[in-house]
Amino acid sequence: MADDLVTLTIDGHEVSVPKGTTLLEAAKTIGEQVPHYCYHPGLSSPAMCRLCLVEVEGAPKPMPSCVTTVMEGQVVRTMSEEAKGHREGVLEFYLLNHPLDCPICDMSGECDLQDYVHLEGRKQGRGVEPKRVFGRDDFGGDVLFYGDRCVMCTRCVRFMSEVEQDERLTVVERGNRSVIDTFFTEGLEGTNWHGNIVDICPVGALVSKDFLYKARAWDLDHTPSVCASCSQGCNVMLHTRDNLVHRVKPRENLEVNGWWMCDHGRMDYEWINDGNRLEAPLISEDGVSRRAVGWKDALGELLGRAEELEAASVRAVASARASNEDLGALAELVGALGGGETVFRSPRAQEELVLKGFPKLARRKDLAPNVKGAELLGMRRVGDDAGAGGLDSVAEHGSIVIVLGDVLADQGEDFGAGADLYVYLGTHDSPAAKHADIVLPVTSHAEQEGTFTNHEGRVQRFWPALQPPGMARPAWLILGALDAELTGEGAPETAAELFGKLSDAVPAFGGLTYPDLGTQGASAKVGAGAGS
Amino acid sequence: MSDAPFKNPGWAGNTGEFDLTEEQVRGDDFVGDRPKHGGHASGAGTLPYMLAEKNPEAKLFEGEYQERFEKILTRYPTKRAALLPTLSLAQELRGYVSPESMDRVAELLDLSPAYVRGVSTFYTMYNKRPVGRYLVQVCTNISCNLCGADEVLEAFLSYTDTELGETSEDGNFTTIEAECLAACGFPTCVQINSRYFENVTPAEVPKIIEHLKTKGGD
Ligand code: SF4
Ligand code: SF4
Ligand code: FES
Repeated sequence: MADDLVTLTIDGHEVSVPKGTTLLEAAKTIGEQVPHYCYHPGLSSPAMCRLCLVEVEGAPKPMPSCVTTVMEGQVVRTMSEEAKGHREGVLEFYLLNHPLDCPICDMSGECDLQDYVHLEGRKQGRGVEPKRVFGRDDFGGDVLFYGDRCVMCTRCVRFMSEVEQDERLTVVERGNRSVIDTFFTEGLEGTNWHGNIVDICPVGALVSKDFLYKARAWDLDHTPSVCASCSQGCNVMLHTRDNLVHRVKPRENLEVNGWWMCDHGRMDYEWINDGNRLEAPLISEDGVSRRAVGWKDALGELLGRAEELEAASVRAVASARASNEDLGALAELVGALGGGETVFRSPRAQEELVLKGFPKLARRKDLAPNVKGAELLGMRRVGDDAGAGGLDSVAEHGSIVIVLGDVLADQGEDFGAGADLYVYLGTHDSPAAKHADIVLPVTSHAEQEGTFTNHEGRVQRFWPALQPPGMARPAWLILGALDAELTGEGAPETAAELFGKLSDAVPAFGGLTYPDLGTQGASAKVGAGAGS
Repeated sequence: MSDAPFKNPGWAGNTGEFDLTEEQVRGDDFVGDRPKHGGHASGAGTLPYMLAEKNPEAKLFEGEYQERFEKILTRYPTKRAALLPTLSLAQELRGYVSPESMDRVAELLDLSPAYVRGVSTFYTMYNKRPVGRYLVQVCTNISCNLCGADEVLEAFLSYTDTELGETSEDGNFTTIEAECLAACGFPTCVQINSRYFENVTPAEVPKIIEHLKTKGGD
């Protein structure tokens, strides 16, 4: 191993890194971020922006750190006056034609040009010539292009040709007239991953139409989460303000999604903000009127009614959008109430959309984040590819019916009418909850802590990004409390505690704990108990 | 000062390869058509042909042009490398490189349309729009500029009644500026189609234009 390590000095620190590492990456190990535009770890390195220049002892000229690889005994200065001087010169050129329109630019606050100029640029411009003007162009899809802000790093062009492998962008013209352009009349319309070029554009040249003028970057809170729109489980950040999700950005995870995410998942967040939510527990009087009650009364009522039933059997409908913890707590409760079957439904797309240049990542057929988790917990999948049907035996079940997270969109008002006890837990009300004896408001994944198990059995954590509406609580907390009353065991107090118990009890989770999962997740032992 | 008559250093004498005399090459009259077969490979690019057959609808490629295209392919190790001469051929035939031509060339060379577009727009010698029968390129780089290129340019524009880059109403003239034409010893240099006119002064401009108008169809 040691043979493959190269030792060099960067900014006075001795570092040992694998052979072939670039100076830019090596500098990161001591916390030095060398400014750069064209370099992106997920793309090829053309070394064309010249912003990453550093001083290397003995080299006749400044070296681009993004492509210069480490050498034994090398002495590198990334932050010396000389290195900074070179970069200051380069930065001055970048501002020659830049419109300096930060106050109306969406990228402001998270822009590499703004940051680098602030850190290393000239305090005062010297340009006197008029600037050339390109204006704005609609690239199709979700992307707007502001040509004057572009720094010509070609990351966007390279993403389309190397990663998405659908060359819809190119550099046209040359010199200071060069500009990024689409080629086909439809532009980026119809491609499935183009949102990523907005992420990797280091400046405000490519911006999202969806996010345009919605919020300033510095007002947004970032919460690590997992995309809930398919079973790939892309790691994401939810960007929130005023208790609303304003956009979703991919979060780096080389095992799952690299630096990327699909447009479907990126744009599928408005439902989280939907205000039409269940906000208080409701108790139904004979299926006619409902009254809102506190949690204590609601759970007391539920337990009371359950006690009256003898030899109960349960039919439960779960959702593949619920977390492992929610589903685990449901499974426990079903057992404690007398046992029975739990089914779930999940829509399925016709095909997988594979990201050609990063084939680990695909928009999977299963359009829910936790299909695997439900299967590992022994739940049976029913219904068709639209996520409908398959509930006849539940709808007519006579004893206890529990619904968690499925809004039963295809079911009629008489769903569960014949049940002795029908409990409906959901984020949203449903016509099919008309006969529910007890309706309990639960939180969405964006409002609670928990884990999803992705298509290959990787268990990944997400964190609460929003305040839950009204009295809504995580399903695991509610179900766990009920289960504790029935079994006499202590109720779980945190999602971590519940997951710990779950992974001890379910062999497929192999004893994983939250600390094992970290921010990047870990693999459950797939296979054991798993369905197809 | 020598008494020897001035000779255009570009004229190497009749090598026997081409059936042209010095008078035809350097004199006022010559406005021949470019031969469809392209001429001898060693001199095809430098011969002062004034007119090429331009047909924006022409097929890429057929007949003699197809033969020339195939010949081009044999000169390069990869199809990608043949992109520039193929684009030139398309321009020679159609008069300019239209988006459709780029698509077609991409198809012929197994390249992506985006790549071909990037290359075509990078080089200014590919016309991205239709141009007149005569493309007048006036050098306005340093030497010519010092010797009055701006006035020459102005004269071309006013005698053809066009703006920079526009085509005159009769479809004959498009005038553009050129960076150095590598004839700094003979300012102002004007390139009209393939042929150089050297030491041009504003006073000569009407003569050149009238000459081209009358000789144009030869
Ligand atoms: S649009 Fe953005 S990503 Fe594309 S070249 Fe310009 S600065 Fe780079
Ligand atoms: S691939 Fe799946 S998990 Fe990833 S962003 Fe798209 S929908 Fe979300
Ligand atoms: S990041 Fe090194 S040259 Fe662009």
